[in-house]
Amino acid sequence: MNEYFDSTYLINAFPELLNFLSVTLFITILACLLGTILGFLIMLTKLSKYRILQILGNLYTTIMRCTPSIVLLFLVYYGLPACAEIININLHDVHTGVFVVVTFTIQFAAIISEVMRSAYLSIDSNQYEAGVSVGMTKFQTYKRIIIPQAIVIAIPNFANALLELLKEGSLAYTIGFIDMVGKANLIVESNFNAHALEIYLALGLIYWLLSIIIEYSFTKIESYFNQGKKSTIAY
Amino acid sequence: MALDIEFLIRTFFVAASGVPIALLVTIIALLISIPISFLLALTQINEIFIFKQVSRVYVSFVRGTPIIVQIFIIYNSIPLMLKKTFNQLGYEFNIESIHPVWYAIIIFTFNTTAILIEVFRSSLQTIDQTQSEAGYSVGLTKYEVYRRIIIPQILVSALPNLSTATINLIKATSLGYAISLHEITLKAKVAANLGYNYLEAYIDVFLVYLIVCSLVEYGYKRLEIILTRHKQKEGVHIA
Repeated sequence: MNEYFDSTYLINAFPELLNFLSVTLFITILACLLGTILGFLIMLTKLSKYRILQILGNLYTTIMRCTPSIVLLFLVYYGLPACAEIININLHDVHTGVFVVVTFTIQFAAIISEVMRSAYLSIDSNQYEAGVSVGMTKFQTYKRIIIPQAIVIAIPNFANALLELLKEGSLAYTIGFIDMVGKANLIVESNFNAHALEIYLALGLIYWLLSIIIEYSFTKIESYFNQGKKSTIAY
Repeated sequence: MALDIEFLIRTFFVAASGVPIALLVTIIALLISIPISFLLALTQINEIFIFKQVSRVYVSFVRGTPIIVQIFIIYNSIPLMLKKTFNQLGYEFNIESIHPVWYAIIIFTFNTTAILIEVFRSSLQTIDQTQSEAGYSVGLTKYEVYRRIIIPQILVSALPNLSTATINLIKATSLGYAISLHEITLKAKVAANLGYNYLEAYIDVFLVYLIVCSLVEYGYKRLEIILTRHKQKEGVHIA
């Protein structure tokens, strides 16, 4: 078993794991894009004037918040093909990546709908009135006044949600999907479980670096947008 | 799709029997990490040398890596360290005899402490400087200021984040399967292994988590109402 710490394993693991970085990033970005679209729709239900839609939207968010990713992953992995069977669609041969993307899309959508809702609500209603009073249509007011302001407010929470998504995505290996974590497990297995610590440390360092880069770039984006805000106030 | 209803009902109780161990790990991890993280948050606010830097790196690491990777790292490094220590001391000790619940407590304490440092740090920042100044001006000591003025206010403002952290922690215990901790998910999984009834088993697990987390969330909401009672009363008085 692992008797001592050998740093050569740590260094050798980096190139092998980095080969699968693109897989991890691809899943994260795809789930983020699809989740943002779905999250927008869910936000609309929460802000709708129909009580039943509000309840459904909030129920969806609560359920997603209360379900561990791993359970959701398995529910989708086993449940989706079973549901599709009823309407005679065979999903048993679909690539596991599809299930991973579906899982994290529906999870991300719940989080992002809350982010969007709170950003939208933080915009004062007189902003809308100001837009309408100068003769803009409802659509123009949203496009030119409400949404640009709401996006700036949503940036920090969006960054947090994205980091969360990246980290939760590491669980995809549990249904046999090979991303960075899956590859790390394969390396450990091929070493007969020896030097597992070094491999996982390398994995941890890659994730850490990735998170720092994402966090840093979002702070840059945020300060870029805030700069415009400050200068208008100064005028 | 033919759901095995009888199995579904039977396994629900199997999954539910894992709730105590999941809650035990959650509660112990919270009890240990709340005081530690509060002190570390204070070192960050007061900019105490070394403590501040170390705790910042620590928070950044925990927030930047997936919990499953933290589990892998800690689960693999503790036996290594223990072995070395015991070998040097000359004791015979069977590493495999350690119950996984110990690993779970260590891992989730390690994780939660970092999350709570951020929670306490942000709520410490919401307390105005004048609050502690007011305390000192009436002759309270530093300890009394914290105990009577700062901490009661922090608890209220930290409660929503604390509730989220607790729920995330309960959800994270589902990863205990990786260290063969017999909690909700693993128990249901083992039950399903027999007849490949995975879908039913995971529906049960899903329901159990839903119930537990809703109850915890409700409990925190009640607690918040109780702790902010004086604020509401004040409002009524003025009105």
